[in-house]
Amino acid sequence: MSDDVPALELDGLTKTFNETRAADGVSLSVPRGAMLGLVGPNGAGKTTSLSMAVGLLRPDSGTARVLGADVWADPVSAKRLLGVLPDGLALPERLTGGELLDYWGRLRGLERGVVRARAEELLRVLELDGAEADSVLVAEYSTGMRKKIGLATALLHAPKVLVLDEPYEAVDPVSARVLTAILRRFTDGGGTVVVSSHVMALVEQLTDRVAVIARGRVLADGSLADVRGTDATLEDTFVRLVGAREVGKGELAWLSS
Amino acid sequence: MAVLLIRLKFTLLGHSPTGMRLFGTALAVLGLGITWYFALAAGSDAVRADLLSLAFAVWAATWMLGPTVANGTGVLRSQYFALLPLDRRRLGAILLLTMFFDIGPALTLVALAALAWHALAVDPAALLVAVPGVLLLWVFVVSLSRLVFRALGAAMHSRLGMEIASVQWGLILAGLFFGWMAVQPAFTATLDLSENGLGDGAVGAVLSALPTSWPVLAVQAAAAGSWGAASAWIGALALLTGALVAVTAVLLAPRVGARGVRRRGRPLGAHPPTARGPRFPLLPDTPLGAVVGKELRQWWRDPWRGLELRASLWAALFIGLLTWSSGTFSFFAPFTGVIAAFIMALSTSNMYGHDGTALWLSVVGQGRDTVRADVRGRQVAILLLIVPGAALLSAAFVVATGSPWAWPYVVTGMAVFFGVGSGLALLLSVVALSPGVDPQLRVDANDSGDNQVQVWIALVALPLLSAPAVLAAVFLGLAGLPWAAAPVGVLNGALAAWWLGRVAYRRLEARLPEAFARIRYGKEVALRTVPANGSLLDRLERTAIEGNAETRPTGS
Repeated sequence: MSDDVPALELDGLTKTFNETRAADGVSLSVPRGAMLGLVGPNGAGKTTSLSMAVGLLRPDSGTARVLGADVWADPVSAKRLLGVLPDGLALPERLTGGELLDYWGRLRGLERGVVRARAEELLRVLELDGAEADSVLVAEYSTGMRKKIGLATALLHAPKVLVLDEPYEAVDPVSARVLTAILRRFTDGGGTVVVSSHVMALVEQLTDRVAVIARGRVLADGSLADVRGTDATLEDTFVRLVGAREVGKGELAWLSS
Repeated sequence: MAVLLIRLKFTLLGHSPTGMRLFGTALAVLGLGITWYFALAAGSDAVRADLLSLAFAVWAATWMLGPTVANGTGVLRSQYFALLPLDRRRLGAILLLTMFFDIGPALTLVALAALAWHALAVDPAALLVAVPGVLLLWVFVVSLSRLVFRALGAAMHSRLGMEIASVQWGLILAGLFFGWMAVQPAFTATLDLSENGLGDGAVGAVLSALPTSWPVLAVQAAAAGSWGAASAWIGALALLTGALVAVTAVLLAPRVGARGVRRRGRPLGAHPPTARGPRFPLLPDTPLGAVVGKELRQWWRDPWRGLELRASLWAALFIGLLTWSSGTFSFFAPFTGVIAAFIMALSTSNMYGHDGTALWLSVVGQGRDTVRADVRGRQVAILLLIVPGAALLSAAFVVATGSPWAWPYVVTGMAVFFGVGSGLALLLSVVALSPGVDPQLRVDANDSGDNQVQVWIALVALPLLSAPAVLAAVFLGLAGLPWAAAPVGVLNGALAAWWLGRVAYRRLEARLPEAFARIRYGKEVALRTVPANGSLLDRLERTAIEGNAETRPTGS
């Protein structure tokens, strides 16, 4: 495989739900070793685009490639290279975190010993080992813990490309640092990460590339510096691209009464 | 506040599918017609009183079972309002109040009003007790319905509660399958019901003790001039209704505790993490082994799954006892294991709907063999869980009823029904997938997805696909070679389990993202993925998408 094959390529992904175009020709190319932040307002089509990129939602047209492997034509090869953390979905709720990783690793064809060692390490690093010692079920996890066990499932098979939907949401500041450290180590080792987020400051601090998506279209895509241009912060760029509604002087006056 | 919530309810109903509601309304109209027919056609006042008592008891029973059997989630879920600055009990009371504003309760009120007609016929003065009696009875019946429904939901939060719910559900199932055996002699004896009433037999005595008969008794007493007794009956009903309303309002208030089963100690099948793990792992180190292990744990620990598993065994036990005690049908008691297989096939026919959006793991983790492993692993897990219990039940009844002749038939029947059942359940789980409330958000006992289409299909397909073995058992039995049918049963069962499972995983493999979209994005989006004039499986899928109620409330 030559080096100039992008790690993740979204190629004209389009999806219409009940007459609403949730994604309208979304194309992105993420080079290897990059960390891309996908930002956009609520309902912009971030999750829809990422779902189509990882094989969870069949696009009306367009496709996605992971290191050259087509997600829709050759799903098995593409999915072997992918680690995915979706937002807000169920898990096998009545397993403990360790049992979930054990199931997941063996389903993905890893050896028992490898699964056990990696699972134990992931639980320890993500500070879920205490819950595991008490046999806490995933159903009893807090929202932040669910994110962390989801991340562990995304990492377990040592993928080449990580696609994480809102990975920092509901995660406490200490765990967020751990998460950042994990992602940096991953990209330092040649891995590629795509994270979606609403939080501009986070994206600015974490990623080297950024893509802005609104109303199902990619409005900007490139290195952080390129996208930001002359704006002081990424938030300014975002507001300039997406448009913002200012709160007028007379509006919501009753709030301060 | 109450008016607001009632309007919200109608707004929400306006956005919900109407199939099940139409059926419920039709049922209520039919009941209304029968009730008034009884009232108008009764041969005498005493007979009319008897018939109205019977009708009111049936109304109450239907209201108790209906909402649970119908598999619908409540329209206004109490969690929606948990954050309102409102007293929880008051909110519960208001939610109960909203229950009365609907077509069903309105039709019920009209039906119950037949009592007023009865009062007019016996003595117009008796209207003085009949009118409050009708209203009280109405409140009683509708509140009772909510109480039973929520009590089942609340039961899902403790192990014992789940077991009680399983017994209850088992009794309901046993009643649906074989309740006619208990009712049938009563009916043949009283074919001339509208002529003679129920008479002074046991049925009449039991019936008059039920609270639903108290307003009828009050009218009778008033007509006879004993106003003291009349007010006593009405007073008693008022007290009982008041208590019922109070308890129901508490149960309808939003729960503020932790979700899921509260447990003490380790969940079943969990061992503390060790570096080396078990020395002799029971399950093979393959995707199939991984799925079987996951499924067994989920079956043991998930109260919603536990309810289905245990209810099928309880139902089989009750059917065994019912048939055994009936005398006429006691030859059937040894076949309880076969009944358990039958019910298990019905209740496991929506497994992917049951797992909800957790299907994403199967989609993003798709390997060369993982979907096959997932389907096969589920088949294996179901059989591992239910076959021992079912076999034990059948064996116990063969011995208890002294029917060793039944052995070959039981073995044949269990082999074929478990085989066909496990294949059919997975095929329906894939093709007729119907998501409920997502697992992490479940509250009520029937939040796990509607499966009426699957049940109807299975009721027809299961006997059909088992026909070779059943016919073999009949004819070889007549020929004096009952044991020769056993290999036919095993072969029939194994072939069906293999073939149906294969159709299931191939379908799922080809339509993995579509299956996920069905769960994640709902009916409208799912319908667009199924061709209108496609294969048999496509048509089955469309039927299920259109026929099953959509239950996708959000919130926690």
